[in-house]
Amino acid sequence: MRSGSGVFLSLTYWAFVVYLFVPLALMVTMGFKDSAFIGFPIQNWTMRWYTGVFQDGEVLGVFAYSLAIALSSTFFSLVIGTWIASFLGPTTFRGKLLVFGLACLPAVVPGIISAISLRIFVQFLAIEPGMAAIVLGHTVHNVPFVMLVVMARLSTQPRSHVEAARDLGADALTAFARVTLPYLKPALIGAAVFCMLLSFDDFVRSFFLGGYEPTLPVLIFAMLRSGMSPEINAIATVVLILTAILGLWAEKSMRTSERKTAA
Amino acid sequence: MTSPLLRIEHVTKSFDDVVAVDDLDLAVEEGQFVTFLGPSGCGKSTTLRLLGGFEVPDSGRIHLGDDDVTRTPPNRRDVNMVFQDYALFPHMTVERNIAFGLELKGRGRGEITRRIDELTDFLGLADLRARMPDQLSGGQRQRVALARALAPDPRLLLLDEPLGALDAKLRGQVQVELKAIQRRTGKTFVFVTHDQEEALTMSDRIVVMNAGRIEQDGTPEDLYRRPVSRFVADFIGETNLFVGTILDNRSGLVTIEWPSVGRVIAGSTTDHPPGASITLALRPESIVCRPAEPDLANRFEGRIRQRIFKGPRTTLEIEVGHETLTAAIDPATAATLTDDRLWLGWPPEAVAVLRD
Repeated sequence: MRSGSGVFLSLTYWAFVVYLFVPLALMVTMGFKDSAFIGFPIQNWTMRWYTGVFQDGEVLGVFAYSLAIALSSTFFSLVIGTWIASFLGPTTFRGKLLVFGLACLPAVVPGIISAISLRIFVQFLAIEPGMAAIVLGHTVHNVPFVMLVVMARLSTQPRSHVEAARDLGADALTAFARVTLPYLKPALIGAAVFCMLLSFDDFVRSFFLGGYEPTLPVLIFAMLRSGMSPEINAIATVVLILTAILGLWAEKSMRTSERKTAA
Repeated sequence: MTSPLLRIEHVTKSFDDVVAVDDLDLAVEEGQFVTFLGPSGCGKSTTLRLLGGFEVPDSGRIHLGDDDVTRTPPNRRDVNMVFQDYALFPHMTVERNIAFGLELKGRGRGEITRRIDELTDFLGLADLRARMPDQLSGGQRQRVALARALAPDPRLLLLDEPLGALDAKLRGQVQVELKAIQRRTGKTFVFVTHDQEEALTMSDRIVVMNAGRIEQDGTPEDLYRRPVSRFVADFIGETNLFVGTILDNRSGLVTIEWPSVGRVIAGSTTDHPPGASITLALRPESIVCRPAEPDLANRFEGRIRQRIFKGPRTTLEIEVGHETLTAAIDPATAATLTDDRLWLGWPPEAVAVLRD
């Protein structure tokens, strides 16, 4: 009975792994096909799609554009999210739950709804569709994640740390900068990477808020409409590798930094 | 006469209708080692937090020297605190932790280095300067916390149960060390603890607190020999408490009728008139036990019900009349006593008359 359920569990697990990785493997493999269309069989192999990605000025430009949007929206999300977390964390006041709920809302509103409403709002503010609008949209979406991660970390900081800093002559701002902020470091690293990935990956908001210049997901979508070329596979593979490296690095540096401040 | 370093004037502090500190009035002279002693919830920690500036009193004033610091925030008071959990900054080395207060005071690089040298030598931390807090033992952390708090040279050092996290053996050693450090620096220490032994070992003066009020304020010896209330007698050391009726009260001697035992003479003064019922306290080691009748003002015959050997002392449970007294005597004397008949006695000054 016990071994029966064990076999069942491991079978379903492997089924899940196959389901997860076979499409990815197919995508990577098709990037090596020497033909303008994807699909089996692969008669000739080539590296030209991959080398092409790094020589295609348009793709590189769009990549840089997406990266700039991800970096700026992450920066703003970190600042605003940390600010709200620090405000909500230590104090209790009437309506705290309401502020908390409102701050969480952007994370749960369906992407399409949020994208449409942001588009209307941006128009209302007379901001041109484009980078500023997309950064604004991504920031609004990412703030709740930063806030939740930072609040969780903040709740483990002993109250005496800040008090000791104040006792030794620090005003509230100095105590935050020199004692609380270093303590939050692992949470901030994790939140930053998560925000980067969310922003880089976002299609709906970027599509609705963008101008003529596409972000990477929007570009890939546009390319798909004119046929499944192996170049798309190559672009996607490069993005996959970069994001995986970023995720693993964040995981590792969060662990070491958390261990250092565990005392 | 110089004015006291610290004056707490009628300070009251409540949290959500619970009065933590109730009309506290106290002055502390410079260079004293003062301990606030009491059970948890007695208001001792709140008092310390009021002195540190982490709480603001509902009413009353706090003066440090000539300055009114009642509402001064912690970063602008010349007071530093050693926290119960030490609160060392986990991302800074020992050296950077100690330097923290000096940097914020705007001291020069050279002066900061000199001060760190001085303190790490003084507290035996010289080899640990480059360590992170998580690489230190409990005792070492405690000393780093002390060094950090002493570094800015505060007028008053507050210590919030800093020995609570240490094991029993180390604690005894650190108590002696801490007292020596206080002597050598000449700093005024205000220490908070619930451990009566710790308080007796280190303090020049103990303030016993109960329910937000001062129960008794005096030297360790005063408190031990002359407790004023049931609470103090019970809280500090072992004690025999018994209730009797005053027969006579004059010229510093109170005669009390102790039901089923006899008359007890106490060398003490009390406001209670003859006929009043009062509580007496008698320390177990004040009781003298002899095979024959001793020459003492209070002497009774009794029977030993139980002997407990405790190394340097033997504790006897003695039945006197319908009462039971605990006596602590040296084991050699205990060996000369027979269980079914002995004499016990004590001088009048060994008996403290309590107010409640």
